[in-house]
Amino acid sequence: MNRAADTPAPASAALQTVLAAVNAAIYGYGVAGARLGPAARAAAQRNWTELQAMRDDLAAMLAARGARPAAARDAYQLPFPVHSPHAAATLAGYLEDRLAAAYLGLVALDDPRLRSWGARQAQSCAVRATVWTGRTTAFPGLKP
Amino acid sequence: MNRRGVLAVTVAAVPVLAAGCKGVGALGTPPRPGPEVAMLRGAIRAEQVMISRYRVAISGSPALRATLSPVLTQHEAHLAALRARLIVPSGAPSQPSTTGVARPGRAGPPADVLAGLARAESAAASGLLSRLAGVSPSLAQLLASIAASEASHATLLRGHRSTGHRGTG
Repeated sequence: MNRAADTPAPASAALQTVLAAVNAAIYGYGVAGARLGPAARAAAQRNWTELQAMRDDLAAMLAARGARPAAARDAYQLPFPVHSPHAAATLAGYLEDRLAAAYLGLVALDDPRLRSWGARQAQSCAVRATVWTGRTTAFPGLKP
Repeated sequence: MNRRGVLAVTVAAVPVLAAGCKGVGALGTPPRPGPEVAMLRGAIRAEQVMISRYRVAISGSPALRATLSPVLTQHEAHLAALRARLIVPSGAPSQPSTTGVARPGRAGPPADVLAGLARAESAAASGLLSRLAGVSPSLAQLLASIAASEASHATLLRGHRSTGHRGTG
């Protein structure tokens, strides 16, 4: 077996990680949206739609690198029960932080375009998390 | 978080080897710090300025203390993380001097204070994103995370100024 051929390039591996986080967030926003009030549900719907477009973009980026985009799972384990609008907004903030963490994986690459793009995406995630939770954190996407 | 540091002096360039046994007087001109060191020092200085702004704002607008104090704490965490990356050899200045750090003026009306801080946060976030090229992967991740935090601060401050919206309604 050719081990080198089985090891994905760093950029493809990082993009697969982002794609997995996006697929999880699409699922999570679907759960959150069902528990939110009308205005917030509309915001969740917008984010959900944008994430679907991002999923397609990531799949295209991976295909261009000769990698097969990982498929979404049928369901994902939620980090906590979501039975209220407050829990739904907290979930949305959590999903955005997990997305930021995945995008920071792109920032670790040497490719300046992916690094810059990943940083901008992580920033957008942090902003959306703050809109959902009303709070900020010192190091979005990084473990404390 | 990976706290691998950046040595403030390039060890290989220290002219001790060339000086042989001629004593301290023969050590010559200290080497220039590498570009990552200069970048880190710039980021540290920017955090110091931001912290000064928040302290002035809080002392001048006590009504904003509850909003601004958590953000100030996060900037202090940014400063600590950046300083932890800078390994300063003994004999070198231990930290970038705070002398000459711009002192912001007195705080104005709360709405103006929030607007000014939000603008400063956005500018700081943009400045960090422009510094990512060529730095180590772990430092790039730290800078990008701090930039994301500062962008979210701007969002928080602007939201507080307008509606105080939280995303559940």
